[in-house]
Amino acid sequence: MTPVMTPLGSALEHYVLLATVLFALGGAGFLLRRNILVQLMSIELMLNATNLLLVAYNRSHSSSLHGQMFAFFIIAVAAAEVAVGLAIVLSFYRLKSTISSDAADSLRH
Amino acid sequence: MDTLWQLFPQTDFILLAFILGLPLLGAFTNGVFGKRLGKQAVSVAGLAAVGIPFLMSVVAFVMLHAKQEGEEPARFIWTAWRWLTLSKLSVINGVPGEVPVALDVAFSIDALSGTMALIVTGVGFLIHLYSTKYMEEDPGFYRFFAYLNLFIFSMLVLILGNSLPVMFVGWEGVGLCSYLLIGFWFSEEKNAAAGKKAFIANRIGDFGLLVAMGLLLYYTGALDWAGMDANRASLLGEQKIWPLVGDKIWFSPYLPDGIATWLNRERSVSPATLVGLSLFLGCAGKSAQLPLYVWLPDAMAGPTPVSALIHAATMVTAGVYLVCRMAGIFVLSPTAMMVVAVVGALTAFFAATIAFAQNDIKKVLAYSTVSQLGYMFMAVGVGAFSAGFFHVMTHAFFKACLFLGSGSVIYAMHSRIHDSEASQDMRNMGGLRRFMPITFATFAVSWAAIVGFPFTSGFFSKDEILFKTFTSYIALPGAAEGAPYWPREVSLFVFCIAVLTAAMTAFYMTRLVVGTFLGEFRGWTIVKNFQAADGHHNHGDHSAHDHGDAGHAAHATHSAHEHAHANEPLEGPEPHESPWQMTLPLVVLAALALVSGAFNAHVLHSHLLDTWLDPVFASTKGYVQSIEGAEELQLPLLAPGLLAFTFGVGIAYWVYVMQKGAPAARFVAQFPRLHQWAVEKWRVDELYEETVLGAVDTLAEIAVWVDKYVVDGIVARLTAGAVAFSGYVLRQFQTGRVQTYSAVMVIGLGAVGWHFVVPHTEVLTKVDASGGRELQAPSGFGYSYQWDKDGDGKWDSVERTVKVEASAASAIVRLQVTNVFGWARLRKVRPEPTKSDSPTLTLRATPSAMGAKPGISLDGGAR
Repeated sequence: MTPVMTPLGSALEHYVLLATVLFALGGAGFLLRRNILVQLMSIELMLNATNLLLVAYNRSHSSSLHGQMFAFFIIAVAAAEVAVGLAIVLSFYRLKSTISSDAADSLRH
Repeated sequence: MDTLWQLFPQTDFILLAFILGLPLLGAFTNGVFGKRLGKQAVSVAGLAAVGIPFLMSVVAFVMLHAKQEGEEPARFIWTAWRWLTLSKLSVINGVPGEVPVALDVAFSIDALSGTMALIVTGVGFLIHLYSTKYMEEDPGFYRFFAYLNLFIFSMLVLILGNSLPVMFVGWEGVGLCSYLLIGFWFSEEKNAAAGKKAFIANRIGDFGLLVAMGLLLYYTGALDWAGMDANRASLLGEQKIWPLVGDKIWFSPYLPDGIATWLNRERSVSPATLVGLSLFLGCAGKSAQLPLYVWLPDAMAGPTPVSALIHAATMVTAGVYLVCRMAGIFVLSPTAMMVVAVVGALTAFFAATIAFAQNDIKKVLAYSTVSQLGYMFMAVGVGAFSAGFFHVMTHAFFKACLFLGSGSVIYAMHSRIHDSEASQDMRNMGGLRRFMPITFATFAVSWAAIVGFPFTSGFFSKDEILFKTFTSYIALPGAAEGAPYWPREVSLFVFCIAVLTAAMTAFYMTRLVVGTFLGEFRGWTIVKNFQAADGHHNHGDHSAHDHGDAGHAAHATHSAHEHAHANEPLEGPEPHESPWQMTLPLVVLAALALVSGAFNAHVLHSHLLDTWLDPVFASTKGYVQSIEGAEELQLPLLAPGLLAFTFGVGIAYWVYVMQKGAPAARFVAQFPRLHQWAVEKWRVDELYEETVLGAVDTLAEIAVWVDKYVVDGIVARLTAGAVAFSGYVLRQFQTGRVQTYSAVMVIGLGAVGWHFVVPHTEVLTKVDASGGRELQAPSGFGYSYQWDKDGDGKWDSVERTVKVEASAASAIVRLQVTNVFGWARLRKVRPEPTKSDSPTLTLRATPSAMGAKPGISLDGGAR
């Protein structure tokens, strides 16, 4: 398997590696942190890792722009998600007077 | 007549549908609309629903008579619909298989069932007429007639059913009606209990009947009368019944040798005996024979017309009818017939001893019924089927008349004595002859018939039974040595019991008549122009009468009232004769009781009934034998019957009329224990209480214990515990926090990812026709393959599938799979065929199916 070169001169693998690290950071942040705002940011991190991967792959398969298009879609969806997510955080804070995700255990009861 | 034949052809005799349908319609109309229709309409509907079928039965009877010439039996059949198809296990040409046995809802009428149908509808109609007056004041009037009509319907199904299962439907139907009518005044605990007792005692008998049906289906492959008779030869032979399983009892090795050998000895009986005894268990239940008779005396808790119709004239004779119906089967087993005869004899004697000591007029008649039923079984047991059936007929007339007469007496007594037990007590009666002349006259005629007064119906039928028990016996034609035979001692025993019972019957029936109708009236002091002092006593007035048993509704108040005045002498008007609706049936039945003997008066050379029934019992010919010189014994054997009658009546007359009961009182004083036991019916009920009921109760207690501690304690708790434990484990994952759930998701995704990242090397091996093997490696993301087919260390092929020759099939094959990440895995396999249909095979196929789809293939680099 020959490494595919990009205009920046780095191999595709570097982007994949970076995206994996970012995704793992986001996943770990989401799982381990208890602050809902930080968790939302972690989700953004994971989404952006995906975006990075899509854009990077699109560069090496430049005959189509599907990857770029998906990245824009994800950005739009992420914006909507943040809007809804922040609204939920606000309501949650009003309800529980905290933004610790541990307090959000109503599903159990 | 021709029109009749065109309307009702022999093979599609739809007249039976009308005979059966009308009582059912009557039951429906009275039961559903009776309350709104009013008493007049209910009476008319109830009477029509029995009267019209009676006329139709007469028509059917006449048609039968026209067809039945000489020896040729006539049977008209009407098939309603196919009921069900049973299957019988059988060996056909050495191959075990199932033979379908079709079962139709079919009805048939022949000489036997035609006669029985006439008795049931005829006597039934008279008793319906009687009930219109007797039950007039009862609030459950319409309910009563609905039950009575339903009873007539069920009884007709029982009689006219063309197969054992259809008959069984009627058999259960009459049992249900009997239960409903015994417990007609169910608000009183003892009546409801009597109904339940009758129902449960009959269940034991019905079990026998069901077993018999199974056996008959197994051996003869048919359940209709004609089919069973045709195949009855298969009931002969031997059937091993002991040991039940295998050739020895499982615990016999632990027993002493002698006992073990005795216990393990193989015992066989003929299937006919098994069938006969099971059928007789059913008959003993329905016809109140030992040891199942206990329900019949208690059944007198029902209204008196019910006692007359169901518990004397018709339903209880169903057992005798069944034995007659199945005569062709019964005669195959002398053993079963002997049991029938001996049980009949013992019942007749035993019931008569109890009747001696009873004071309740209905109880005396009830035990007399049990005794007379025993008489009938004696007759059919020795093979005298037409004699037995003759007694069924005459007994239906005179016993119905006696019961209705007792009802008439109770009806009169009830005008002043409202307690149902006191109003039936003979000690409160006496001298009623002057006040109730018609009742007395008809009662006296029936008394003459039951005690065997010369030339009454009972004289002829009883005499015929005595004659037959002495002379007749059952033997298989051409039976081998050691086959069951009929010892002469059995005949003599049954005969002696029969004569003794005849004398006892004469005695206690005379005692009953004397106690009720002769002497001085003991019920109350008769006052001319009696006027009741208060409302409660105002029952002498005919218009405001709560008649007979019908006073039960107001019973509680009345009995409380009577108790309050228990020690004061009661005053009242003259007891009155009953109205015509009640006396007319009495007169008709008494007339029949007087003259119906002429149908089969052998002494007077009348053989009408014998000739008529002969074709029905044709299949018993050759099995029923007579001792030598039986013909000459006809006249000499009149003597025992006449002697029994003379002695019984004479002694009773001497004791109760000439000596005013003093010898009886002396006897009681001398043997108080004996008398007490007879009064308490030899404590058979108590015996059942202790043994059968005790056993059932113990069983129930054990079942309760098992349910409480084993089922609830172990089984239920164990199940609940397992569920609770797994719930506890699973609950630990259910934190309600979104992070836990996403962590589980991450773990799951990780596992799926790992599956795709690791190369798989499971080999699918197939064998082709030449014995060569085809090996296929799994497919996956960017897999490349290297095969070493002969195990020599060199790679031979890079294809996914390789072929190995049959000669090299035993060599070890090596496979190396490298995936898209350059991760390689090696596996050594012996090319043996993979088991097909195993679930792992399908799992293995999955990656290949996925890999085949280009859309989601991630092995872009390798392409």
